[in-house]
Amino acid sequence: MVAYLLRRLFMVLFVGVGITFVTFFIAQVIPIDPAVAALGENAREEQIQEFRKRYGLDQPLLVQYSIYLQRLLQLDLGRSLRTGRPVAEDLKEFFPATLELALSAFLVAVLLGLPAGVWAALRQNRPPDLLVRLMALLLGSTPVFFLAILLLDLLHRRLGVLPGPGRLDPYLIPPPPVTGLVTVDALLARNFAAFQDALAHLFLPAFVLGSASAALLARMVRAAMLEVLSQDYVRTAWAKGLSERQVVFRHALKNAALPVLTLLGGLMGGLLSGAVLTETIFSWPGLGRYVTQSATSLDFPAVMGVTLLVGVIYSLLNLAVDLLYALLDPRIRYA
Amino acid sequence: MKRWVVWLLAFLGLAVAQDRAQVLVYGGDWTDLITLDPQVVYEFSGVMIADNLYETLVRFEGNDLSTLRPGLAESWKVERGTTDWILTFKLRKGSRFSTGREVTAKDVVYSFERALALKGPGSFLFTEIAQLKPGATKALDPYTVEVRIPKAASPQSFLSILTFTLGGIVDSEEAQKNAKGNDYGKDFLTNNSAGSGPYRLVRWDRGNQVILEANPYARIKPKVQRVVLRYIQEPAVLRTALESGEIDIAEGLTPEALRAIAANPRFKVVRAETLRLQYLAMNMKPGSPFANPKVREAVRWAVNQDELVQGLLQGNGVKMQTFIPKGLLGYNPTTPYKYDPARARKLLAEAGYPQGLDFELLASTGICGGGVPCPDVAAKVQADMAKAGLRARIRTIANAELLATYRAQNHQMVLAGWSPDFPDPDGNATPWSDFNARSLAWRNSYNDEVAAKLARQAALEAEPEKRKALYRILTEKVLREGPYVVLYQPAQPIGLSAKVEGFLKNPMMSVPLWQVSKQP
Amino acid sequence: MRKFLRRFFRNPGAVLGLALLILLILVALLGPLVAGDPLEQNLLERLKPPGPGHPLGTDQLGRDVWARVVHGARISLGVGFGVVLLASFLGVSVGLLAGGLGGVWDNLLMRLTDIFFAFPSLILAMAIAAALGPNLTNTVIAVALVTWPIYARLVRAQVLALREREFVEAARALGAGQGRILFRHLLPNALTPVLVQASYEVGAAILTAAGLSFIGFGAQPPTPEWGAMVAETRNYMAEAPWAATAPAVGILLTVLAFNLLGDGLRDVLDPRWR
Repeated sequence: MVAYLLRRLFMVLFVGVGITFVTFFIAQVIPIDPAVAALGENAREEQIQEFRKRYGLDQPLLVQYSIYLQRLLQLDLGRSLRTGRPVAEDLKEFFPATLELALSAFLVAVLLGLPAGVWAALRQNRPPDLLVRLMALLLGSTPVFFLAILLLDLLHRRLGVLPGPGRLDPYLIPPPPVTGLVTVDALLARNFAAFQDALAHLFLPAFVLGSASAALLARMVRAAMLEVLSQDYVRTAWAKGLSERQVVFRHALKNAALPVLTLLGGLMGGLLSGAVLTETIFSWPGLGRYVTQSATSLDFPAVMGVTLLVGVIYSLLNLAVDLLYALLDPRIRYA
Repeated sequence: MKRWVVWLLAFLGLAVAQDRAQVLVYGGDWTDLITLDPQVVYEFSGVMIADNLYETLVRFEGNDLSTLRPGLAESWKVERGTTDWILTFKLRKGSRFSTGREVTAKDVVYSFERALALKGPGSFLFTEIAQLKPGATKALDPYTVEVRIPKAASPQSFLSILTFTLGGIVDSEEAQKNAKGNDYGKDFLTNNSAGSGPYRLVRWDRGNQVILEANPYARIKPKVQRVVLRYIQEPAVLRTALESGEIDIAEGLTPEALRAIAANPRFKVVRAETLRLQYLAMNMKPGSPFANPKVREAVRWAVNQDELVQGLLQGNGVKMQTFIPKGLLGYNPTTPYKYDPARARKLLAEAGYPQGLDFELLASTGICGGGVPCPDVAAKVQADMAKAGLRARIRTIANAELLATYRAQNHQMVLAGWSPDFPDPDGNATPWSDFNARSLAWRNSYNDEVAAKLARQAALEAEPEKRKALYRILTEKVLREGPYVVLYQPAQPIGLSAKVEGFLKNPMMSVPLWQVSKQP
Repeated sequence: MRKFLRRFFRNPGAVLGLALLILLILVALLGPLVAGDPLEQNLLERLKPPGPGHPLGTDQLGRDVWARVVHGARISLGVGFGVVLLASFLGVSVGLLAGGLGGVWDNLLMRLTDIFFAFPSLILAMAIAAALGPNLTNTVIAVALVTWPIYARLVRAQVLALREREFVEAARALGAGQGRILFRHLLPNALTPVLVQASYEVGAAILTAAGLSFIGFGAQPPTPEWGAMVAETRNYMAEAPWAATAPAVGILLTVLAFNLLGDGLRDVLDPRWR
């Protein structure tokens, strides 16, 4: 078990380094000088030379990359060409907003997708099933950016039932940043008005971001449930005269959970990167907007930092899912 | 409200509802904000904010960019030395930084030396335009500062440069206390403030909001205690936020939204004058089709400026063809070119392109002057030119990349914007006409010794009428021969709640927030 | 084959998906002939609601939204198919090599796919598009580069499973070479799940490409690409909701068609899923 864990952790490391290598390679394709891109309209030639020197852009490529790796060992992700700050500091500032959004979206996906899938499976080929399948298909096919625009226009602008963009009402004094998750910070500061307001601001972007995942999850759960429901032991349970609730919760759901679990890790990883579009429309100050702006200004140290962070989180989540899987299914043993 | 009271209330779980009239919420796209250090900041939003955090020795007021007024200095004089200009500033007594310390001559010396040492993107204003050297600034006594600049530099330009944030005075003790190594407190002042301006910086959540609060020690007391700058990039969202009362000021609305807002009595619209120009530039380097003057002439007849200004901009800009904008000395309102695709086609045929011409038009993905997306302006120009046989392929790229491509002279035609670095016609004339300045003329391979000479002569001319006459000759020459097609001088449209009074954005884009008041 | 068709046509979702897809292909092929010029501007007619002359209204430059949406069908379908062809070619090759060669090669290639799998796809595509320069061809390349690992894993798993099956053993016993077994026996049998996956992936690719165009890393103006159209007109949702909605519905219908088709194919080919 320990050996397995070590091997997997080593793989996470390997994938992380691989990601930086690929991004670094991509960055070299750019036909133009990032120093010029960073310094703007009026930069003088000397300024450009100095900038290149300061960021090591005058070194040969392999030297640049090995310097990057050496620094990475000390968790130094280099400096952003655009903001001039250490990338690690930028990530620390922008990550919490995305984390808060992705966790909420994940919650939305599970709260909507799981029951919908179970319900549809239990009423296979009857109206509830058809409704769930139709909704899942539609939500899974809608471009998330349009869903965001549409709902914002409808629920905020026309009906005024939900607050607009941003994380908090500007007239509220924001809670002191401790975790960077506004909801948590508000609770820590016992500022319940801010907590409520932050939740209200979170609702729409979380729904938009979580909807496609909810659709996917509903389809997976439905399929997994159908498979389990047709198994002998469930039929036996029905035959024993157990109620629907007992059958679902005692037997079916537990077994259907396994294939669904594998999906969840990927789902969370997908949410983190899917946040790019949602954050753009909701003025959400997260990693998605940060990385879009960085890519737009060809700030590759920043792009590398974001891909590395998200990639490593994704790999760790998958590892966690695999371990959970082993915990839930005693047949699986890792050597 | 004292900070501990707020904390106490927050701790008790009470809603801290602020007095809405004492909070001003300003929505806009502040994503260019990377630092609030006065000696480093050079981005539009950063300059606008830092302007409210720091005071300068002298300053302009309102839209008037020619009359210098006292700032931290209550008086100043300019004397001619043997080899240089000597400027002497008398500081007023009792000005205080937000730290409580008094502003003295040593802070001025520190701030100027700091600007030279940090070599920020705006530092060339000190080092090149004013030719200011380290050690040239001296404190004669706690309230007197002497600055010497070489004879070749213009003291008038230097004084007008001193109105910028680059000349903002920082608390030298506070900065040194927080300095890391030799950085003059640059890391600290990136997201903290230590100035004597009407506001101090209390919080900057990157990508989300900047919060300013009245500086308790300031000489100039602001009318609104707290200013919140919210980042809102989406114009549609910005409009909704203004309409729902979530924000008081909205910068970056579409012309459509602006018209709707103007029609509603709960709101009003300000069209801030700018010194910006939106223009097309053609690369004249040898081998380029635009090296041929007839082709450039054809392009000038192939853009429907009237439709562009009326249809797309809807009043958020005026038609312009020469390169000195309204608001600066030497402004030349002549507009000899009008839309004539037949004439353009004929010129193109004479130039040897009877079948028309294919080329690439670079445009930014961002918003162009007047609040219209650049891709829309490019598409409009492309459609006009196509009727004259000038077939442009549009490539939209991020602004940073556009600038890089433009500077590397890798463009054929580019849609770009220009603002002078300082409010003087020379801020346009030299970059636009002097090849050796390695700016716009150089980028477009426009190497005309006569134009360059005229620009140099006009810059040094002290007599305003003579100077005007020189600029008239120069602007008309460049209009007919140069690589540019100036499209329009945009106005910056801003939507406001009707409760907001006293809002102003001057042509150099600074906003004196302390003058703004808000009705409950 | 006949059995396959019969089952396919008994599946209402699949039939609906196929019908929708055929309709879209017809629109893409023939629509541009009748729909008018997608680039023709008329600033006096900007943001006009749907009505005679402009069945779907006009956009912010007075261009006919209907003409643009119809032309956009060709682009989006082209991007979708282009991505899937390129990605499946890459992925199937890697999967086949990994599964077929085994050993060190398998390990090496699969670690490579691991890296690409862990990449946040939209961000990687964005980085690639930013580096290569934004245009439709580069969008196709970028999206293909982030989606090929799916096929690689799929094919490798199939190959590993099939390798031990009797017909392959039989071929090996008859003296067939490694290459022959790979291409004649393993590849055709591994392609079924690839086909199912590919039909979903066309839709997914169209969504990703539209997203890229939406944030400015894809199609360039005045190209009537659906994602770019939504991006350009989203500022006018208050005055002219049709201008952003029409291309969005175009994306929705196209992706829906491929999802329905994918469901149908999977039901027919893999009866475990209903």
